Formats: sequence, C-alpha cells, structure tokens
Amino acid sequence: MGDLQLELNHPLRDFELQTTLVVPRGLTVLIGPNGSGKTTLLKLITGQMTPAAGRIALGDLSLCDTSRNRHLPLQDRRIGMVFQDLALFPHLTVRDNVAFGLRAQGVPSRQRETRTTAMLERLDLTDLAAAPVTTLSGGQRQRVALARALAPLPRLLLLDEPTSALDQAGRWELRRWLAELVAEMEIPSILVTHDVADVAYFRKRIAVMEGGRITQEGSYHQLLHAPATPFVANFAGVNFLVGEVLQEPAGTRFRAAGGLDLWAPFDNIEPGPACLTIAPWEVALYRELPGGSPRNVMPGRLQEVIRTAERVRVTLLGSEKLVVELSREGFGELGHPEVGAPLFAVFKARETRVMNIRGRSGQSPPAAVRKGGLS
Amino acid sequence: MNRLAKTVASVLPARRQVLTPPRSSRISNQLFQLILLGASLLLLLLILTPMVALLLEVSPARLLLLGRDPATWSALRVTAVSSVLSTTLVLLLGLPVAYALSRHLGRGRQLLETVLELPMVLPPVVAGLGLLLAFGRRGLVGSFLLPFGIQLPFTLAAVVLAQVFVLTPFFVKRAALLFGGIDRQLEVAAMLLGAGPFYTFFRLTLPLCRRGLFAETIMTLAQGVGLFGAVILFAGNLPERTRTLSLAIYGAFEQDPEQAFTLAALMLAGCCALLLAGRMLRRSPGNGGGHG
Repeated sequence: MGDLQLELNHPLRDFELQTTLVVPRGLTVLIGPNGSGKTTLLKLITGQMTPAAGRIALGDLSLCDTSRNRHLPLQDRRIGMVFQDLALFPHLTVRDNVAFGLRAQGVPSRQRETRTTAMLERLDLTDLAAAPVTTLSGGQRQRVALARALAPLPRLLLLDEPTSALDQAGRWELRRWLAELVAEMEIPSILVTHDVADVAYFRKRIAVMEGGRITQEGSYHQLLHAPATPFVANFAGVNFLVGEVLQEPAGTRFRAAGGLDLWAPFDNIEPGPACLTIAPWEVALYRELPGGSPRNVMPGRLQEVIRTAERVRVTLLGSEKLVVELSREGFGELGHPEVGAPLFAVFKARETRVMNIRGRSGQSPPAAVRKGGLS
Repeated sequence: MNRLAKTVASVLPARRQVLTPPRSSRISNQLFQLILLGASLLLLLLILTPMVALLLEVSPARLLLLGRDPATWSALRVTAVSSVLSTTLVLLLGLPVAYALSRHLGRGRQLLETVLELPMVLPPVVAGLGLLLAFGRRGLVGSFLLPFGIQLPFTLAAVVLAQVFVLTPFFVKRAALLFGGIDRQLEVAAMLLGAGPFYTFFRLTLPLCRRGLFAETIMTLAQGVGLFGAVILFAGNLPERTRTLSLAIYGAFEQDPEQAFTLAALMLAGCCALLLAGRMLRRSPGNGGGHG
C-alpha cells in the first residue's frame, strides 16, 4: 500500500502551517512543542479542516488537492484514527464499537462477523466483547479504540497522543501492541506524542514539527547526536548552546552567547550565527582545573542534582547552563558535591557538534540536518 | 521597615474584626436563608393549592356521569389524534432544525434562533390570528389552497397546524441543547470509520440522546394537549371536529361548571402522569443512557 504524501499551506492564528512530509509504511513519531500545528496537521489529513493550498495523497488515492478542487469526504478517506480521548461510542458494546466501521461501510454480515471476531481476538478483547465500553479500564479502552480503527482495514493510521491517559505499565503495553499491529498492517502510521519514551521506543523515524514546519526528520539516534533546534536538544536531553562561529587568525572558535569560547570540529561550517550541542554524558566534572590536552572548559557552580537508579544528572551554571550526566561512582569520586559547589565542566572538542543557524533560530536548519544526514 | 510596620498596624485591626463576626452579619445571613426558604414554600403553596382544590371538587358520581357523556369521548379523541399528529410533525420538522442549530455556526444560525423565539414570546391569541390570516380562506397562502379544495381553518388539520406552530420552537430549542451536549469528536470518529451523515445521525447521534429526546417528546405532547388560544382562534370550537379537552373545559364552564371541574381534574391527572414519565426518563443515567 501507498505512502502518505502531503504538501500543505494553511494559515493559522500565529503562523502559517507549511508542511511537506512523506510518511512511508510503518510508524512515524511526530513530536513538537504545544501549538506547533500537530493537531491541525492531523485535522487537515482527516478532512476535518480544509487546507488553504496543497495536496494530500495516500499512494494513488488523492485525499485532497486544492489545485483540482478535490476534497474527499471524511468517510471515503479510509483513515483509522485513535483520538486522544478515544471517542469510543458510549452506547455500544466492545464488539459493536469494533464492528461499527464495517457495518457503516456495508460489509456483508458474515464477513463482518469474521473480521470483528478476528480483531477482538488479535487485541485480546474476546472476553470483553459483550461488555459496554463504559465499564472498561483505561488500557482496555485503548485497545478497543485501536481495534475499532483497524477493523475496516484503513490505509493510514493516525494516533493522537494515545498513551497520554495511561499509567506507565499501560503505556508500555500499548506500545507493544502498536508496534506489532503497525508492522502487520503494513500501512503508514503517524503517532503524535509528548512522551520521550514513545520516541525512544519507536526510534526509527521521528519527525519534529515547530511553528508549522517540519524542522527535523530522522532516527532517534540522529536527533540525539545532531539536534537541529533547541526543542529537539531539549527533548533529547542534549545541551544546546546558541552563539556564533568566529574565524580569526588564531583559529576558528565557537563563542557562546554568554561569552565562553569553545573548540569544535568546524567541517563545512561558515562563520556566523551557529549552535553547538554536547551530550550530557560526554561532559566530565572536576573539582580542580585539569592540565593536559586543550579541551573545552566551563567553570560554574552546581545548581541541581537529580539521582536516578544508576546515574546522576547535574546542572552546572556558569556563563552557560550545562547538563552533565555521570555514574553514581563518578559522582562519589567527586566527593558528593553540594549545590553551590564550584566545579569545572570539561569536554572534548570532537564530541561537540556545531551547526550554522540561518534566519530565526529553530526555523530553518541546514539542509543536511533536515535530511537526517550528519550522523 | 517603618512603612512596613505602619502597613501591618493598619491591617491588623481589620483582621481581628473578621475573625469574630459581629452580630449584624450573623443576622443578615439568617435573614437571607429565611427569604430563600420562605419564597420556595410560598411558590409551592401557590402551585399546589389550586391542584388540591381541583381534586377535592371531583366526586366519583360526576366522573361516572362524565364517562357516559359522548361529548367527553369525542373531545378526548380530538385531543389524542391532534396531539399525536402534531407531535409527530414537530419531531419530523424539529429534529433536523435542532441538529442544524447545534452543529452549524454562522449568521444563518443567529437569524434562525431569533425567528424561533418569536412564537415563544408571541401571545397564543396573536399566533391564532396570524395563522388565520395566513391559511384562512382569503389568507396569504389559504387563497392559493382553496382552488385545490383545501380549507384549513376550523378543521382538525388546523388544530394540528396551530400546535405545530406554537410547539416546534420550544422543542427545537431543547433538542438543540441535547445535540449540543454530544461530543462532536464521536461523529468525526464515526465518519472516519466510513459512516455517512445519515448513518452517523441515526446510529450514533440519535441513540446517544434518545432518552432526552423521549422526555422532550412527552413535554411536547403535554403542551399540545393544553394548547388553547391559538387553537380556538384558528380552528374554532366545533364539537367532534376541533373541540379538544381544553376547549371542552372552556365550553362547559359557561353551562355546567361542575363538569368543567371534573374534566380539569382528569387533565390534571393525565399531565401529572406525563410529567412523571418525563422526569424519570431525564433522571436516568446520562443523557443518552448507555445500556437500554
């Protein structure tokens, strides 16, 4: 079955949605800050909203093409959707919810029954078939929503923050179901989420939307190592420093906004506004300034300490703010410093990444990054 | 520091006052509660006293006598036939309009809402006169109907038309609220599953508010039974044709008040039954009520 291809322009209150996106078979995770246009994008795809200009196609099926004034009605788009609040039909049983689409499309009753039964079985809902949906638990309701969306064999699956209402155990269970089903169905699928764990689980293909545009696409790995915008860096937990690249006789340097000069690999980087990223686990902490090979150093004071099972996450505030992650042993070797203790953050030049920023920061990253290159 | 101390000093006495409420505010609280209670009791009395008075006036002998009077039965028949017909028409006409009102925004909606409110504020007598001038023999529309042999005034059809005219706006307003209470997302979900607008309406929207709609239908039925002003002007008070129970009571009152009282008591009992039925439906869980 075909990929989802879209190219849309649609003015919103604060900005214009300008999205070009190809979603191949399998699951693509769509992340982005609140109000970046994710929900609008879903509404444009389903047909709840009509774009000002552009086209949407599912393989050879054109859902919408403003140049030909074509707008396929909602009921003919063959889109399966799982809504954030699920939107299960409260007056129907589990079975009737799942069978709703097949019945509405006039599928003959024997075929309908077979398909419904199979779907219930597939999602482990057989025992609940006769139960009213209002009596189910959160996880069960999620599975009914998924079964209902998939029963009529859609050509595209949209999931709008499906895990947000679940507890942690329920989220992992749903992720497992989702991964299996999307692989079986062999259809393109978009998962909108705010949960880092979703991104980590469905790590292969992530698209980032900010201000109505797709600002970065790639694997989780690529996002971690070369975040193109502060949002991505933040999301991935990577330090993101804004500044500029200076070319001087003594060599090229990156000068952060706070005035800190840093070394980095400057391949294919032009002087001017740029950003530098460094992963928290690539930064080391010292009580005293170490000697030796030239490295990047930022003196600062300990601002916050967060302990997890094996790691310690530390925020160091100097001329910039750096998040540092180290093992519990490493933290112990430092002598368990208290908040306010003076420390030195040290990291190697080759662990950093520098990218030019064009125009407004975060709006238009370099082309190489947008393609998911730079790995 | 000095200024701060002054501020604190100026605040403190006020604080102390609040901590121990003076007698006057306690009295005003009690007075307020008393007024609420008193007004409620007064209104209850005002409504219930005439009801009780009516019921006390009825004697089993009069009831028996009434039951033997063919005029009673014909009025009952006219009432039943007209209000069932008008309620059906109100549903057929009102449901689509109510749905449109609840789902479509824009200028047309405001216009429609305003026009709908007109029959609601109009004195029924004025409504009856208006109907007469529109559908009467020489009326705006009536004169065109006459060549086809259609004469509306002073027929059962006129009773029904008057009821539909007065009652539909009320029904539409309340049904629009019911439709408005249904999550739009559910309908989007149905349509994305491949359901067209008709399927979505009849299999999702309507079942979801069926209890509420049933209660509203009963309300319409009860209102239709009681309609007077518009009916008597547009349809007249012709025995066996347009004389409903309400008109029969009015007619009887001039000749035989006892009979009027007995008829009225009967209607009271009927209305109580309808009201109870409506209440029970509305109180059931959810507006839609999931499981039968």
